[in-house]
Amino acid sequence: MKTLWSVSLTGAALMLILELISCSRQACYDNTNALMNTSLLASGTGHDTSSVSLIVKGITPTDTVDFVDTKSDSHFSVPLDPGNDVTTFYIVLNGVTDTAVITYERSPHLVSAECGYTFVSELTGLNTTHNIIDTLMIIDNSVNLNGKRNLHLFF
Amino acid sequence: MAKGTCICFFSLFLLLGSRVMSQDTVMVPLHVRAGFDLSGPVMHLISKNLASYGVLASVDINQNLSVNAGARYTSFSSAVYNYSFQSHGTSFVIGPDYNYIKPKVGQGRYFAGFGFRYGLSFYNQEATGIKYTNSWGEGVSSIPLSHHIGHFLEFTPGVRAELFRGVTIGWNLYLRVLVSSGAGHDLKPVWMPGYGDATSGIATGAEYYVSFSIPYKKIRVIIKPKPVSTDEDNEEGVENPSTTPSSVMGGRL
Repeated sequence: MKTLWSVSLTGAALMLILELISCSRQACYDNTNALMNTSLLASGTGHDTSSVSLIVKGITPTDTVDFVDTKSDSHFSVPLDPGNDVTTFYIVLNGVTDTAVITYERSPHLVSAECGYTFVSELTGLNTTHNIIDTLMIIDNSVNLNGKRNLHLFF
Repeated sequence: MAKGTCICFFSLFLLLGSRVMSQDTVMVPLHVRAGFDLSGPVMHLISKNLASYGVLASVDINQNLSVNAGARYTSFSSAVYNYSFQSHGTSFVIGPDYNYIKPKVGQGRYFAGFGFRYGLSFYNQEATGIKYTNSWGEGVSSIPLSHHIGHFLEFTPGVRAELFRGVTIGWNLYLRVLVSSGAGHDLKPVWMPGYGDATSGIATGAEYYVSFSIPYKKIRVIIKPKPVSTDEDNEEGVENPSTTPSSVMGGRL
C-alpha cells in the first residue's frame, strides 16, 4: 500500500504539471475564411469551362473591393460581407460586366478557442443581370468553411 | 420420515465434509464518502480564467463496486485578441467505480480502478467583442447570453488511499467524450462547465480529491478458496504432502 501512496502523491504532482501544460494557449492554424465558391459552366452543355478573363469586385456604399482578377479560371471564391445581409458583386466575365446581388443570413461560428469566431452564412436569394451571365443558381446554401461549391454560373 | 431424511443428509455431510474445500473470508467495511476537489482551487490560483469547485459523494455497493455522484460549479472567462468569452454553470455526474484491489489487501481503505460517469451540464455562455478582419474591412459583433444543457460521458481511472482513519485522498485522470454541447454546431462553447473545451470531442485532465469516509456496514467477502487437507491426504502425506486443488479434485473424482 506504500506503493499506492507513492503513486498517489506522484500522480498529484504529475497532474499539476499536465494541467499547467494544457493551459498554455496555442496559435491559430485553422482556416477562418468562409468563402462563397462559384463554378463557371458552359450554357447549354453544363460542362465546366474557363473564362478568358475574370474580374470580381465587391461593392460597398463608398468603394469597391477587388477580389478576383485573373486571365483564365473555371471557378472563383469570394467572401460575403460579414457586416451586412446583402452583398453586391460586379462580375466582369470576358470583358462583359454583370451585377449579382446575394442575400443571406449571417451567424457566428466558433472555429476554435485559439482562432475565435468567424461568420458563416445561409444563402436566401440572388439576383443578377444577364449581359453575359445566362443563369446564376444556388447549389448549396451554406457558405462555411467546408469548401463546397455554392453557386453555378452559366454563361 | 422427516427425521430420517435429516439424519441421512447429515450423515452425507459428515462423509463429504472432509473433502469439501473450505473458503477463506475477510470482513470488508463498506463506506459512504463525501469529498471535494482540490485541483480546481489550486488551478484557480495559477490561472484566473477558470474557477472550478467540485464535490463528490460515493457509496460502496460491495467490495469492488461503488456508485458516485458529483456536482461542480465552473466559471470561465477568456479574453484574447479577437474575442472575449464567458461561461458559467453547474454540472452533475453519476456513475459506478470499479475497484481492482483485492478485498483482503484493500480492506475498503484503498482504491485502484476506474469509473464511468454520465455528465450533465447546465450553463450560460456569451461572447463579446468578436472582432473580424477580412477583405470587406473590420467589424465587431457579439453573441448574447444564452442558456444551454450539455451532455458528456467520462472515463476515470485513478487511485485512492486512506490518509488516516476517515480521511481519504486520491486522484483520477479523466477522459471525457462530448455527447452534445446543446448549443449547436456553430456556437459550441469555448469552455463547457464540467466538460472543458467543447470545440474538441474529447477532453482530458485530472482531479485530486480529499474525502471523508464513514463505514456503514461490514460484509463478509469470500476470497479465493483454499483447499483443506483431508484425512486420507494426511495419511498419504509422506508421499504427497502438498494438497493442490487438482489433487483434491482428483480425490473427489
